[in-house]
Amino acid sequence: MPFTIISQGTFTQPSGGAVSQIINTPSGVDYFKTYNLTQLTTTQSTGRCVMGEWFNGGEAVTGQLNSSNDGLCWFKSSSSSNALNVSSFSAQSAGGFTYVNSQPAPQAAITGTTITQATAAVASATNTYSNGDTVIIYNAVGMQQISGMQFTISSVSGSSFTLLGLNSSGFATPATSFQVRRVSPSLPVNPQTLYVTNITQASQGVVTVSQAHNYQVGQLIEFTIPAVFGMTQLNNFNQPSSKPIVITAITTYGFTINVNTTAYTAFAFPASTASPTAQLFATVAPAGQITQFNAVTGVQTGYNFNQVPFHSGLFIPYMLIPAGVLSPGGSASDVIMWQAFKMETGTINAPVPS
Amino acid sequence: MTFSTGITGIQNMAPELPVQASEDLLSTPMFNLIHSFGVDLHHAESYIGKTTRMSRFERLSTDGGQLDGSGIDPASEVPVRTDIDATMEIYAKSIVTNEQVVLWENSKTLTKFTALLGQWLREKEDLLMRDLFSSSVSYINCTGGVNGDQPSNISLNDVNNIENILLGNDARSMLTNLEATLRFSTGGVRDAFIALCNTNLAADLQKVQGVLLKSAYPTQEGLRPEEYCSISRFRFFVSSKAARTPGVSLLGNTVYTIPMYGLEAAAKIEQNNYTAVIGYRPPWVVSSVAQNSQLYAKFAIARAITNQNWISGLNATTFLPS
Repeated sequence: MPFTIISQGTFTQPSGGAVSQIINTPSGVDYFKTYNLTQLTTTQSTGRCVMGEWFNGGEAVTGQLNSSNDGLCWFKSSSSSNALNVSSFSAQSAGGFTYVNSQPAPQAAITGTTITQATAAVASATNTYSNGDTVIIYNAVGMQQISGMQFTISSVSGSSFTLLGLNSSGFATPATSFQVRRVSPSLPVNPQTLYVTNITQASQGVVTVSQAHNYQVGQLIEFTIPAVFGMTQLNNFNQPSSKPIVITAITTYGFTINVNTTAYTAFAFPASTASPTAQLFATVAPAGQITQFNAVTGVQTGYNFNQVPFHSGLFIPYMLIPAGVLSPGGSASDVIMWQAFKMETGTINAPVPS
Repeated sequence: MTFSTGITGIQNMAPELPVQASEDLLSTPMFNLIHSFGVDLHHAESYIGKTTRMSRFERLSTDGGQLDGSGIDPASEVPVRTDIDATMEIYAKSIVTNEQVVLWENSKTLTKFTALLGQWLREKEDLLMRDLFSSSVSYINCTGGVNGDQPSNISLNDVNNIENILLGNDARSMLTNLEATLRFSTGGVRDAFIALCNTNLAADLQKVQGVLLKSAYPTQEGLRPEEYCSISRFRFFVSSKAARTPGVSLLGNTVYTIPMYGLEAAAKIEQNNYTAVIGYRPPWVVSSVAQNSQLYAKFAIARAITNQNWISGLNATTFLPS
């Protein structure tokens, strides 16, 4: 038999906005197909991808598929016709399939022009990134104190993205140029270490990190804060009995801790001009968890079996299905059916008859 | 005449067999396995779920405690127990072999494939532990080097800074000291913490002030082949697969992470009866016409940083761009 279906399924894009989807493929995949069940039965004023195909090994065949091997896009071109057209995703300037069979390495660098001094810094760079992607910024001229940090990006347009985890309003200067690479959406193991971008002086300090995190209430953490960042009192060896610090509340980019930081030295980034000799970075690392039991209600809180134990951050291999009107992941509320096929032997370039 | 005349050479009488296998196979490449070295080994029982909990009671406060003779008791303290959890995960690899390969291949393929699976098992396990170190530990950029990058190349000040952090957190050294002997060009090695790094840093390690290369240790007995040198309170072990992130330093060079730790900083948990399973499925099971057989290897592993106080590390670039 030429192909064996390994697995199939469906997913529905969130109504608030479609996002890239990850499909685990434990056996690997040689042929992957998506159907946009929603768009197959509708007509739209603009083109819509209704079916996507991806062939493993196609990248080496010039002209056979497409040079980037991101798959074939079967699409309706307009509302006036239900006729199907076919093209590569890249030719439609749409994100296509990405098959990932090892921990993703940083992608090719993009040169950006500015990073603003703002409550949420905005970076300007021509890009093809998506909301929620993780990037690493380096060689940020004028903001070298963040060079090497990872950020979760949001409000992505083709020309800019926002760093919700960075308040750069207190920095001396904006960045006048920088390099950025998109990196793996997760480190290999979770919970992972995070970069600290701010800690308030409060009866319960509030910590801001550069990435959307998956830390949980009740989780224990340990800070590593070099002297150039100020609030070294949070370093473990300065804490009473060296006890780990407990998270008491969480937000997307931060969390509250059970430490009164009111009298601590203010947290502040070193100046850009201190680079490269300034000791970077302020970080926070997972250190276990502590559960709370309410004897009155009988409720145990402060534990999440899916997030707190050390575990793999990504299941590899997987197929990344990006969202977009001409992408296989579709638009908001679209229902997508996917099928993953595995050949018995051979590849598309060296098929073995069977 | 109906026969050929002249000299009989290999031009007109080629060898019956054009190639022959040498007496032994060449070595299969294998990288240094350094990431499980020095971590605690725990065992998980079957039938009790897939999450293993390791617990530690934190020490009591030393504040107060004096009695003034009034008969009033000091306040009692609630001890704190820290729980470190790790999820068991299973990894597997198989090789399906057609009978014609087994029949005609000169080397004993099934035996060699079994050995390859065994090597895969240990290499995969090592990389999984590497990933734990690279993901869940705080690293500090080297700044004492002279390559002008951020982070810089490694220096003695950077190494000593990590020793300060570990000592300040009451970490215990991992390796006992090697007493000096009356041998030229050797020197004693202090009790030491462990540092793991990429082989690309070897050239830079040699240039760090005060480095003692392994050959200058007072004894070579019991040393692991992966060990490279000793700097300050750290003994460095190298592997070509140790963690690195290409192209993300200030100057766009590769950044290497160097975990540095003492006793009980990290743990590897093995599932009882699932530590290393290697098996064979015969052709009559795998194939309807009994032509393909299958070898497989699988293992279960959970991993955790058990004490963040006792592990730290450095981000470094190389003196020459890499």
